[in-house]
Amino acid sequence: MDAHARNAYSAVTPRIADAVRKIAGAKNVLVDDDKIQAYSHDETNAEKYGHMPELVVLPTKAEQVAEIVKLANREHIPITPRGAGSGLSGGAIPLFGGILLSLEKMNKIVEFDTANMVIVAEAGVVTNDLANLVQEKGLFFAGYPMSLQTCMIGGNIAENAGGGKAVKYGVTGRYITGLELVTPTGEIVWLGGKLSKDVSGYDLKQLVIGSEGTLGIVTKAIIKLIGHPTAKSDLLVLFKTARQAIDMVPIIMSKGIVPTSIEFMDQLSIITSCRYLNESLPYEEAGAMLLIEVDGTNQDQVESDLIAIGDLCEEHGAIEVYVAEDRNTMERIWNVRRNIAEAFKVYSPVQSLEDIVVPPSSIPEIIPELEVLSAKYGMKIPCYGHAGDGNLHATLVKEPSMPMETWHTAEVACLRELYQITRRLGGKISGEHGIGMKRKSYLKELADPVELKLMQGIKRAWDPNTIMNPGKIFDLADA
Amino acid sequence: MRIIVPIKQVPETSNVKMDPVTGTVIRAGVETVVNPLDLYALEAALRLKAQHGGTVTAITMGPPPAIKALKEAVAMGCDDAVLVSDRKFGGSDTWATSYTLAQAVRKLGAYDLIIAGERATDGDTAQVGPGIASWLDIPIATYVARIGALAEGRLTLERLVEEGYQQLSVPLPALLTVVKEIAVPRLPTLRGKKAAKHCDIPVFSAENMGLDPSFLGLKGSPTKVVKIDAPKVTRGGKTVQAGDDEAVSAAVGQLIGFLEEKGLV
Repeated sequence: MDAHARNAYSAVTPRIADAVRKIAGAKNVLVDDDKIQAYSHDETNAEKYGHMPELVVLPTKAEQVAEIVKLANREHIPITPRGAGSGLSGGAIPLFGGILLSLEKMNKIVEFDTANMVIVAEAGVVTNDLANLVQEKGLFFAGYPMSLQTCMIGGNIAENAGGGKAVKYGVTGRYITGLELVTPTGEIVWLGGKLSKDVSGYDLKQLVIGSEGTLGIVTKAIIKLIGHPTAKSDLLVLFKTARQAIDMVPIIMSKGIVPTSIEFMDQLSIITSCRYLNESLPYEEAGAMLLIEVDGTNQDQVESDLIAIGDLCEEHGAIEVYVAEDRNTMERIWNVRRNIAEAFKVYSPVQSLEDIVVPPSSIPEIIPELEVLSAKYGMKIPCYGHAGDGNLHATLVKEPSMPMETWHTAEVACLRELYQITRRLGGKISGEHGIGMKRKSYLKELADPVELKLMQGIKRAWDPNTIMNPGKIFDLADA
Repeated sequence: MRIIVPIKQVPETSNVKMDPVTGTVIRAGVETVVNPLDLYALEAALRLKAQHGGTVTAITMGPPPAIKALKEAVAMGCDDAVLVSDRKFGGSDTWATSYTLAQAVRKLGAYDLIIAGERATDGDTAQVGPGIASWLDIPIATYVARIGALAEGRLTLERLVEEGYQQLSVPLPALLTVVKEIAVPRLPTLRGKKAAKHCDIPVFSAENMGLDPSFLGLKGSPTKVVKIDAPKVTRGGKTVQAGDDEAVSAAVGQLIGFLEEKGLV
């Protein structure tokens, strides 16, 4: 922890708490330990990364957010914005205590503008609810990462969330055309608008997207919608080797068909998940699997794309190509992919879930490196994820017999090596989960120093008193 | 060995909505799937074929879109399929349905075995399989969990019964309904899908089967739905409050007493 920064902040005194109550209403302010406990962690390991806030506030309007930020800025109190707390990098953890500002009560749809194919929503709207709402009108929020069903639009924007459909639809940021931001000095500003084009100055909106709440608090967003695909089908393809599976990705993409997802699973992931699910696929023979989804608005087109991809896989040595065209069968094959993490939790709950990203063609080079790391550090490292965009969940799993002290040292050393390999292959340490506090020290080691300096300069310009989600991505003290 | 597998298209259950006025399932615009329990019957049939040789024919009664279910059966490995379809069959209850399907089986000619799912997930009656056997006057074994040896025209079976398993030997031809334990259904393959795409599926109608119209459809169905209503769930919970350590042990005592009373501990 950045001790210097910590000492530099003021405490949330009863006077400050009263001032916050005055702004947001007493019922929207929590100070009792048992009530604020839930806000001390996200989906990362609470014991390792969790930290208690001093006060939690649940504002209901952007104006309240602005007043609270002004107060924090004036009094030099750290403020941490939070959505659903489903993050995987510690981004919403109040590392220096202070005020935790949860957007959960700002959960209204402001406007559903079908003429412009946009929906304007407050940051605390649950993304799954928004996706269901627009689907009733035949529309689709293609930037929905489909992660935890509790995640909120504000959190998706803060992390620029990705997910399984990025091959075809890209990530959250592609669909955010405008946003309302409360700056770290407490001003309210609209960036972007209901626009498809906008080069009127710097694209500050894109700078905010993925900034992990360090450049301000997003309170509303304008979300671009597209037509909802009415047809979809899946292929589950078994290959002898990981290289064969990965080599298929450019072969498929170069045929002019863009699948919605191309998910990769290595042998260890497949075996663990299939055994956990009692799934009878002939997984023992498979060195790797691809799960390929195709969608569209024309059933015949989807079917012909599916067959074309399946034929290509067979021509290139697939052991077997399974087809899923109804919901039950699709659910069955997606279950194998979705349950990998859960299956490993049963094996050993102590893990480090990673989301490295490399150029897709480098994936086969990662696999043997993981085997080397696995043997060297005595842990299991299954590898699965979004092959279509090179984003892999190489997960460090502690062997149940390994003592915790050994694990703590081994995890750090192994992650460092994994990230170095990733960088050597032209990749980055996080493709969709973010840096937060979990990967901060590694970013410092691995990022280009010039890039880091530019980022720190932006942070200083936007947040002169360093009160907005401090201690995330990088420390200014390192500059 | 010739095996016939009757299957059914049912609404995909995660999206089922009920009409609050009529109390019936809203089928318009709802995605359909092969009745999940029929997949086990298909798997059992395909395994028997692999063991003893022969053919597997899937058959379904329904409107023309039901052909999708038959194509999926072919994609899993069935050799051929038959659609039993006619406006006159609309509104059939289990009596009329099993009559119609039995006549379709007759039209198919000689067979050794009919394997059906335990029941359909929409109607939930489990009557059509046994009904077909009755119309055809052949032996029936329901809730079959394991299929054993075939010798001298008899098949050894194990039925899942409340107390355990019942072993049977049935002479063929016979009809079996199978439970999930029988085998995990295989997934359709690309090869199978392509075969299904080009597979010609004949349609059996009331006319080309030469059926007695008074046995068909709504008119031929003795079951009349008089009224449908949703039962009220009256599951009353009891909360045991415990504010401090002393109250906790009293509460635990109460809970143990409750479980003992119900014979659960």
